[in-house]
Amino acid sequence: MPEGSLCNKTPVDTMEQLQALLSDRRGVTYYQEMDQLDVNKEALATAIQNTCKSRIRTWLEICAHCGLCADACPYYLVNDKDPKQVPAYKIQSTLGEIVKRKGEVDNDFMQYVMDTAWSKCTCCNRCGMYCPFGIDMGVMFGYVRGLCFAQGFVPWELKIGSGMHRIFRAQMDVTQEDWIETCKWMEEEQEDDWPGLKIPIDVENADLLYTVNAREVKHYPEDLAEAAILFHIAGENWTVASEGWEATSLSMFAGDWAACKMQVETVYDSMKRLKPKRMITTECGHLYRATVLEGPYWAGYESGQPPVECIHYVEWVAEALRTGKLKIDPAKKIKEPVTYQDSCNYIRNGGLGDIAREIISYVAEDFREMSPCREHNFCCGGGGGLNGIGRYRPQRDKGLEIKRDQILATEAKIVIAPCHNCWDAIRDLEEVFHIDISWTFLKPLLLSMVEVPEHLKPAED
Amino acid sequence: MFDKILFATTASPICKDAADVAFDLAKKYNSQLTVFHVFGLPTHGFSQFAVDLKTGETEVHDDDWVERVTAEMKTTFADNLAEAENCVVEAVVGAPHREILRAAREKDIDLIVMGSHTRQEDTGATRFRTVVGNTMQKVAKAARCPVLIVSRPCQTCWWYFSNIVFGTDFSKAAQSAFKFALQTAKQIGCKLYLFHACDIGPTDPGKVRTQADIEEKVTEARKKMEELYLPEMEGFDNYEIEVWEGTPYVEILKYARDKQADLVVMAHHTREIDPEKAVLGSTVEQVVLRSACPVASVNRPDKVAAS
Repeated sequence: MPEGSLCNKTPVDTMEQLQALLSDRRGVTYYQEMDQLDVNKEALATAIQNTCKSRIRTWLEICAHCGLCADACPYYLVNDKDPKQVPAYKIQSTLGEIVKRKGEVDNDFMQYVMDTAWSKCTCCNRCGMYCPFGIDMGVMFGYVRGLCFAQGFVPWELKIGSGMHRIFRAQMDVTQEDWIETCKWMEEEQEDDWPGLKIPIDVENADLLYTVNAREVKHYPEDLAEAAILFHIAGENWTVASEGWEATSLSMFAGDWAACKMQVETVYDSMKRLKPKRMITTECGHLYRATVLEGPYWAGYESGQPPVECIHYVEWVAEALRTGKLKIDPAKKIKEPVTYQDSCNYIRNGGLGDIAREIISYVAEDFREMSPCREHNFCCGGGGGLNGIGRYRPQRDKGLEIKRDQILATEAKIVIAPCHNCWDAIRDLEEVFHIDISWTFLKPLLLSMVEVPEHLKPAED
Repeated sequence: MFDKILFATTASPICKDAADVAFDLAKKYNSQLTVFHVFGLPTHGFSQFAVDLKTGETEVHDDDWVERVTAEMKTTFADNLAEAENCVVEAVVGAPHREILRAAREKDIDLIVMGSHTRQEDTGATRFRTVVGNTMQKVAKAARCPVLIVSRPCQTCWWYFSNIVFGTDFSKAAQSAFKFALQTAKQIGCKLYLFHACDIGPTDPGKVRTQADIEEKVTEARKKMEELYLPEMEGFDNYEIEVWEGTPYVEILKYARDKQADLVVMAHHTREIDPEKAVLGSTVEQVVLRSACPVASVNRPDKVAAS
């Protein structure tokens, strides 16, 4: 059977397709169909011809098999130094083979490629830092995922995820109406405690345009309320966009390049329409990578820059603390030992390690660095979409061990994790290993210790 | 009095007492009743997985699961449902307090009815108690309509209530609670007790309060009650005002017991307290946990003015 009804080479563009996938419990039928899925070798060869350009071809050829990438890879380390987990092996045995064989590969091989691209690499890019040639297997696996997606070899959840982006321009089924309604709802819910608090929608020329992760809107709208309260306290002139409000990209995890472009363009359109001075993201790592670091290239901007300056949430927090827009009550600083989970996407790839430390200096008295840390830190264990993929749960949980041991070594009780994926992975880590830690985003933490200016407090009853 | 009632339930026999009250009320007032259960907490990142709040197992959130849970709910409340006319049963996935608040907002609910805690012998009681406790706290704080919390069997039908105790801290929120208490007392035709407890807890270390100080405080509070609430009575004279001193929740419970209260009405506003830490922290929380009768938490005027 060449194409299944669920597992096929056609991306999800309609509600019917999406519904059909969602009703396939745990993707059982989907993966059965995948066993029968034909590889379109011609299309694969053409794709390589057109998209595998000099950088990746050079990387594949100049790899000296020196093995320095091995110890850089958390999956190699955590799986008893299994040679099959050496990044160079992983990429040579997948992309290397596809290129060498000019697309002449079969179903079994493509499933091996898929399993490798999604369960043995979170695209954390750590190996690229240690390779003497600067070969980045994370970047290459991002590319491999694109080849897999086009051939229909993509984990069930991510086919759904990229479909969500195509249909809703959001990673979850949150419509524009839902989004606006949630903003109003949160504004109302806070009106007693924070008189005058607004979640301004579509205000032009604001200082900040705030973008979010649809999951916050769908399940945890408090996060939006907390963001609004902190902007309110800091006296920011900010806004959200009614359209192009969601800046994450499961399509990036899925390798659905077309959907990546569609999604990021809605965000860029909102920037062009509302002309804010800067765009600020929520506490999400891959959102930053998708919209700030990679997005401009997806959208075809030669400058490599988004339409307006974009900052990660941590940059705003550090700035607000530095300039005194937010003042921390010294008595309320965290006394317990605390550590920080450096996100691959905005710390290693975005270079914000110092910014994170600056924030810590304001909020914590007993800060413990993980080892290694900053741009050398290991992935939380759930990056690259791995948190959400049922098929690779055992591999994901195994990978968490390295993070568990890092955290335990710090003896910290609290892990600050201003990234959705990291936050999820550490939450799950506690569920799996019960090491008695708590984990938090920055927003609730800041709200528990920020000084509230008198004029913003509600009138005494 | 209540056109639309939302009964937020754990869908287990634990909620039986609350269920009886919710169904009774709906029947009496011809209300549209929604039996609402949040059965799973989203997990595994962006995926379709959710953790079953009862068993702790991870499952895929799909129509089958919803159907199974809905069927279970119908079995659990079979007796109540058999007699209910205008009732729908709904099961959803999400953070419990959030989904209850979302449903209340979407459906324009006039009253939320909830149970408050679970029994130790039930499966997953510990996990559940935390979820339910936090949920109740968060719902009570943010809901725009009155929230009726029922933790023990309610001996009397709502419309046969004889004594309502309104506990006040003179806050703005308490004003709404007062209106609700008054309206209910008028509707039912029962007695309304207006009560305040002067907090003489150890707030100022080292300072010893004299009897005269305390008495002065009590007199002041009584005067304040008269000024605040009496002009609102509009002809209703079946009330009594009382001010005691002590730890507020203890005094309210003692007073409610003394007056054989059928219902305690209070405002729930714990601005300062982190809801995660304040499971047992607020006065309302303490009263709810220990009260023999249902407790109504009312913070906002929205649904009180209308009813």
